[in-house]
Amino acid sequence: MDTLYNTHVKLLAFDFLSLSPNPSNPTDPSSFCRKGTPLSRAESVGVVVTRELKPGKFLRFTIDDGTGCIPCVLWLNQLTSPYFSKRNPSGVRLIAQVAAKFAAQIQLGVVARVRGKITGYRGMVQITVSDVVLERDPNAQVLHWLDCIRLARKCYDKFSKNGV
Amino acid sequence: MGTSAISAGALVTLQELNSSSPNFKEGASFRVTGKLRDYDLETAVAVIVDGDATLNVDTKHLKLNLRSGSMYQFIGELHIEPNNEAFLKARVGRNVDGLDINLYRQSLQLLRKFHAEQINS
Repeated sequence: MDTLYNTHVKLLAFDFLSLSPNPSNPTDPSSFCRKGTPLSRAESVGVVVTRELKPGKFLRFTIDDGTGCIPCVLWLNQLTSPYFSKRNPSGVRLIAQVAAKFAAQIQLGVVARVRGKITGYRGMVQITVSDVVLERDPNAQVLHWLDCIRLARKCYDKFSKNGV
Repeated sequence: MGTSAISAGALVTLQELNSSSPNFKEGASFRVTGKLRDYDLETAVAVIVDGDATLNVDTKHLKLNLRSGSMYQFIGELHIEPNNEAFLKARVGRNVDGLDINLYRQSLQLLRKFHAEQINS
């Protein structure tokens, strides 16, 4: 069952960073495995501890959730990228506006909940961000930890094909 | 460019940062939480407390409004002075008033237990 493949799995950073490319789908840049279960999307909550902006291209940042640092990339090149040039211009402008809004929210020290596709870059696993929400309630980080633990035990580990 | 060598701030309580603990390492990264007791405007050193444990935090690089009595959380590196006193050089910090402290402490224990389980499986 590939039901985890189409949902944003909530993973602690140490867990996320140990994802390996899916051996049965090596050409898909967005296919990774956790204990034999294919995943494509993830969600994390943590403090933004690094931020590198290339205007008009991308924002690279890191999320520290206390168990590790997850590298994230938010693309900002929609208006100039050939990939988007074939699509409806007003739709592309909207996507670019939303991305720019997210980029402005990601500042050092804020706690952000990010969702996106799991991708690889230079041998390291990262999140290509599709959604950002700032979490102002200090208990949000704690809730995320507890969610990750509960979901791993009750759900994600149950799909494991490694006999765990 | 290149891959950043930034370390995650390990989750510890102030009690666990005393000189006899294995955590007490120069340059190690931690995430600490405590109530602000004093703040020296000139040196930008904040003293945070948790129970009977205290920690000095160098907040020089932070744009944070520090109020005595509020709870704060800092991520940074531990530096050990010649007299074996430690202070945290904070990279980021935030006000965490409203944090459920008991739940926070319990969750740290749960996290450690979970991490150990996952590594062993």
